[in-house]
Amino acid sequence: MTTAAIEFKEVTKVYRRRLAGQEVPALTHVSFEVGAGEVCAFLGPNGAGKTTSINILMGFLYADGGEIRVLGYEPGDVRAKQKIGFVPENFAFYKYLNAEKLLRFHLALAGGDMSKSIGLIRDLLFKVQLTGYEKLKIGKYSRGMVQRLGIAQALLSDPQLLILDEPTSGLDPAGRKEVKDLIHAMRNEGKTIFLSSHILSEVEEISDRAVIINKGRLVRMGSLNELLGTGDVIEIVTDQLPAEMEPMLAEWGATIDRGAHGVRIVAGATHKRELAEKLWAGGCDVVSMVPVRSSLEDLYMKLVGSGEAV
Amino acid sequence: MKVWTIALSTFGSFLRNRLLIVFGVVFACTVLLMMTPLLGAKAMAKMGNSQQAEVMVLGMVSAIMFFVSGTGSLLAAWCAADAVASEMKSGTILAVMARPVKRWEFLLGKYAGVMLLMWVYVVMMYGLSWLLAWIGGERIHSTTWVLLVYPMVRYAVYSAVAMALVTVLHPLVTMGATLIMAVVALIVEPTTQAMTSNWKYLRVPIWIVLPSTSLLSEERFLTITHASLKQAGWLEHLTTVTYGLDYALVFVLIAMWSFHYRSLTRD
Repeated sequence: MTTAAIEFKEVTKVYRRRLAGQEVPALTHVSFEVGAGEVCAFLGPNGAGKTTSINILMGFLYADGGEIRVLGYEPGDVRAKQKIGFVPENFAFYKYLNAEKLLRFHLALAGGDMSKSIGLIRDLLFKVQLTGYEKLKIGKYSRGMVQRLGIAQALLSDPQLLILDEPTSGLDPAGRKEVKDLIHAMRNEGKTIFLSSHILSEVEEISDRAVIINKGRLVRMGSLNELLGTGDVIEIVTDQLPAEMEPMLAEWGATIDRGAHGVRIVAGATHKRELAEKLWAGGCDVVSMVPVRSSLEDLYMKLVGSGEAV
Repeated sequence: MKVWTIALSTFGSFLRNRLLIVFGVVFACTVLLMMTPLLGAKAMAKMGNSQQAEVMVLGMVSAIMFFVSGTGSLLAAWCAADAVASEMKSGTILAVMARPVKRWEFLLGKYAGVMLLMWVYVVMMYGLSWLLAWIGGERIHSTTWVLLVYPMVRYAVYSAVAMALVTVLHPLVTMGATLIMAVVALIVEPTTQAMTSNWKYLRVPIWIVLPSTSLLSEERFLTITHASLKQAGWLEHLTTVTYGLDYALVFVLIAMWSFHYRSLTRD
């Protein structure tokens, strides 16, 4: 792994309700790292401790124990914050401002060059498809527009590290695709992206690594290949399957699923070539042959459902 | 620069705050009602002794301005408490603090925003005191800077106290505590009346600890008549203003220290 953009070592956080005498552990010895240039998904059910972790990373909350470094600095250090773009879970804004004024306000806080603000803001609003709405008060924006504006403000200072807490929440499918494309583009620019999301299929498409937590504990982390496997099983779809081939397939441990649009065969990748040749020889038309790996959603349900922890 | 950006944004948000706009309208109506006896006093003055009329009119102006100025103290406290609490409640603080802004810079910016608003209030108050005197057919004899600086220092004290309290308390509790503090500060002011020894021993330390509202009050300068006109010494002014600024500074520092260690989220 390259130099870590985020280091989270043995981090513990307990919420204390002093009057009620209650203690609610939010994070218990959670450790993970995010390398520079990676897209890392941060996953877990509601209440798992994702937002608490992100708030600690941003310096909004103090951890009770552990060691945290963001871009080599302590959380909340202005030197780190100069290089971070952050989108909170529910991006809150000054409703009386319009997009242009809000971005100008954030640019001033970021210490940006105000003489170039007009061009920069126009480009960013174009990037998040808010061109034409720059003079409209944010209070009149839809949830999706607000979320896109949140992403625009995160990109204002050309950050090295983007921390996105549920960036696609409240967005329609088209809006989600736009955000996904933006994340792709930012990854291509070499930015480190740390995002939490509940939409696992999208996360799987754009992430290099995943960190899964549940009930304040780390459940699993690793690259998606490590977590989901590299495809030691294949799926072949043919137009038909002669009955005399079935015993051979059963011997290989393959599963056969006959449907209206063809036959789906799932078998070990070691028999891939032999199986394909036999199907061709048997007069079958092989429609597709793809490696199969478990989905992030399957893994997530397995881990979070079982409450497994490392 | 960052502090000033936050201050201007805070000031702008106050000008659009519906609660404050309603407060302003109700307040203006109340002041208009209070002006009525002044017109009566002016009519009476034409028939009687002019020196007596001056005392009466300036006394009325001072009484109205006591109400206006006292309300300003509450306004300063409320705005300071709300400036911080509303950002935390709405969550807007997260996007702001994600920027390279230090916590003390944020708090100082908020405080400066409150002071900007209170400056507008003080200037309006100054204009009102002149208007009231003019309606009563008299003029204010005190110097301008005193009528501007004294209330500003007093508001600086109350907003600093409220800002320090709101870093640990709910804004409504903060307002209540500040109000109680202001009332107690008035009660424990030294008087010429005889006191029981027990009360005296309790009263003096409280008076020392709490900010002296009457010391920082500008009303005493409003009642100066042409006959009683005398220049207060520079040292007297300097001591009083320094006392108030020092008090405000201590509470701003306490607020910064307390804000540094608190969570910025609603957990």
